[in-house]
Amino acid sequence: MIRSLFDYLRLAATYVRFNLKAHLEYRGAFFSQVVSMFINDGAWVIFWILFFKRFPVLHGWTITDVITLWAVVTAGFGLAFGIMGNAFQLATLIAQGEIDVWLLQPRAVLPHMLLGRSAPSAWGDALFGFVVYLGFVRPDWPRMLAFIFLSLIVGVVFIGFAVLCGSLSFFMGHAGALADQWRNALISFSTYPPTLFQGAVKVLLYTVIPAGFVSYLPVQTLRSMSAVDGLLCVGGALLVLAAGVSAFYWGLRRYESGNLVSMNG
Amino acid sequence: MNRGVEIRDLRKKFALVRWQGFRRCVKHVTAVDGITLDVPAGQCVAFIGPNGAGKSTTIKILTGILHPSSGEVKVLGFTPWSERRKLAQHVGAVFGQRSQLWYHLPPNDTFELIARIYGLERGLYQQTRDALVDRFALGPLMDTPVRKLSLGQRMRAEVAASLLHRPKVLFLDEPTIGLDAIARQELRDLVREWNAREGITVFLTSHDAGDIEHVAGRVVVINHGRVVVDGPVAEVRRRYVSTRILRAQFQDPPRAVDVPGCVMRSQSAYEWVMEIDVTVTPVQEAIARLVEAGPIADIAVEDPPLERVITRIYREHAP
Amino acid sequence: MRTGWLKSVSKYSWIGYTAARSEWAYSAANVSRIIFMATVLYVFMRLWSVVYEGAGVERLGGLTEKQMLWYLVATESIIMSMPRLWYEVDHEVRTGAVAVQLIRPLSYIGAHFGRSTGERLVRFAINLVMGSLIATLFAGPIAFSLSGLAMFAMVLPMAFIIDFFGAMLVGLCAFWLESTQGIALIYSRLMMLLGGLMVPLEVYPDSVQPILRALPFAAILNAPGRMLVAPTFALFVQCLGLQALCLVVYGFGVFALHRYALRRVFVNGG
Repeated sequence: MIRSLFDYLRLAATYVRFNLKAHLEYRGAFFSQVVSMFINDGAWVIFWILFFKRFPVLHGWTITDVITLWAVVTAGFGLAFGIMGNAFQLATLIAQGEIDVWLLQPRAVLPHMLLGRSAPSAWGDALFGFVVYLGFVRPDWPRMLAFIFLSLIVGVVFIGFAVLCGSLSFFMGHAGALADQWRNALISFSTYPPTLFQGAVKVLLYTVIPAGFVSYLPVQTLRSMSAVDGLLCVGGALLVLAAGVSAFYWGLRRYESGNLVSMNG
Repeated sequence: MNRGVEIRDLRKKFALVRWQGFRRCVKHVTAVDGITLDVPAGQCVAFIGPNGAGKSTTIKILTGILHPSSGEVKVLGFTPWSERRKLAQHVGAVFGQRSQLWYHLPPNDTFELIARIYGLERGLYQQTRDALVDRFALGPLMDTPVRKLSLGQRMRAEVAASLLHRPKVLFLDEPTIGLDAIARQELRDLVREWNAREGITVFLTSHDAGDIEHVAGRVVVINHGRVVVDGPVAEVRRRYVSTRILRAQFQDPPRAVDVPGCVMRSQSAYEWVMEIDVTVTPVQEAIARLVEAGPIADIAVEDPPLERVITRIYREHAP
Repeated sequence: MRTGWLKSVSKYSWIGYTAARSEWAYSAANVSRIIFMATVLYVFMRLWSVVYEGAGVERLGGLTEKQMLWYLVATESIIMSMPRLWYEVDHEVRTGAVAVQLIRPLSYIGAHFGRSTGERLVRFAINLVMGSLIATLFAGPIAFSLSGLAMFAMVLPMAFIIDFFGAMLVGLCAFWLESTQGIALIYSRLMMLLGGLMVPLEVYPDSVQPILRALPFAAILNAPGRMLVAPTFALFVQCLGLQALCLVVYGFGVFALHRYALRRVFVNGG
């Protein structure tokens, strides 16, 4: 079991290496995408800095918390989709029958398929997250390690959720646009201070759109450096991942029986 | 022990759900209607049929992508849909329309990745790779990005890539599509050679009669989810078309003769190429008539082109 | 001469009308835009609620909480109605199609203006209507007056024209850059930050406000935004003045760039 985990990690490393090599074949475009994402994320952080100059505290959150939020979200997002870029296109891959190619290989379909591509702009997000955290927050060593760990956890949430959304394609035709919307909702809600939301919406943010696991818990963990908060993070991430993976394999069973819904009239 | 492909009464029915406005209609489509087939290890089979005949469904079941409705299948002793990953270790596939090679990277990189995916032992991998690179003449191409290769070079690299993990079964789907005549012939020779040399079982799907003729030893024609024809290529050809091509070369310009049921395909001063209907005039009689035309220098009896055979089979087994 | 000009205008209007119709039909994009707007409006409604509660005041920067939300309706409606003009121009420059068009610049720019305005007007209308419904649902309406709405409407045309020129400039950068995507992104982010997209410029630190107010970005977003929520005649005149200035500067920029581009195209053989 451990050996097979190591084996998959090595395989993932190989994919990352080759994906980056393929990106670098078009150096100019790749760097331009990375820089663009950097600028995009940077603009938002600048906005929040200006905003917080005027309104220093929002329900207990300060500018440091918001910057930490952006750092951990962009780092997590960047790592997630930089390494498993096919999570973005899952709905389309399923709809166009491209899973078949992956089914022909002697590997577990889902992780292997996700590794197949890397989103170039995601590397810009990843770079931004780490640069901003190091530059603005200037953490000590324990916090830095915690940050790296939490970024990976956040990445797991993003991947799990993207897989859940993408798996809609097994059950509905033309699910691509809907899957994108739902996935983007997570990204949208993740970048605002979660302390803004209360009541029913808060519940929503730990279930239907699990932004709470991406924004509130990681930042809370970095504030308190408490193991309990950390465990809650990990637990939440694993829940989301489990939901996504289950949805995928449930859909895959349907796919293998060949009974996909067709939406022709 | 066969260790090839064994199919027993395979059936596959799809439930197609269509939405007519707000009503949900379920239509049952039978894609595979009882196929029983045995392909011994090392055989090269051309698996052909018109579109919608159940070919790709069968292949998907053989590779473990689909579950059948009923029936038994054993590929290399494995049940494809329940032992997919174990089987995948020994199966290779080449799709003419879809590439396994990474477009922006040199073939060498894809080969390395394949070694990782299949968990190939380093030494064995290098040995196999070198042999393939040598025989498929890929040496100078290995470090060129795939996008810079010609289609013929790419297909050679594709087929080589599919053989890296030393599979025992190879599925080829339209491998020569889009290739020029020379590239096509090269690829066919390579496949045939590897089939003979390594004893790989080859499943070929192609609309190109030349592929079937030059690569396969056996033809299985599928239509309406059933096997309609199954036999060696030459026999199938002979059985299905009752014509022969007679090529006669004369020493002196020949006299005109009457051969019933014969069509003159081409005629020059010293050579006649005729297509005779053997149900009307058996070959022996046709030759006898030709001898009457003049002293014969050489004579050959050929089978008609496979193209025509296939068309005839499809038409014959149409509803 | 007069009939010729009239013909051109009617031709561009027709282009605009066709573009508008196709935009209206493209419902999937409309739905996703509306969902996005709803999300942003919701989040900012919560944000302002927390801020005003925390500050314990009724007005910040001269605006009430509801006015802040409606300000966002205006600015979001404008920015989300932007057509992909720079992309088309970039493409035309790269394929050389622009070479033919450059000979008759007015017709080239005119055709683009026609089409992008058609798209823009439809998108803006949808955004504004849906945004207003959502804001009414979330927070309730603010005090609107007929004269206020008229002033708002009159500030819009120049805002759109200035934005159009901005997008043209970005697209024409294709003459010098490998990819204009980066410039386009920078332009849009500058608009977001400096134009007062999410918050009125009054919220920003006092030191930077004068500079920001003079920039064309403010003319596109901040000016119409304020005109919707707190219209006064003085402000109206101020906005128009700013817009006129920006228009002149931008217009000059575009035509100068165009002249340079023409020279470059014909010297280098397109």
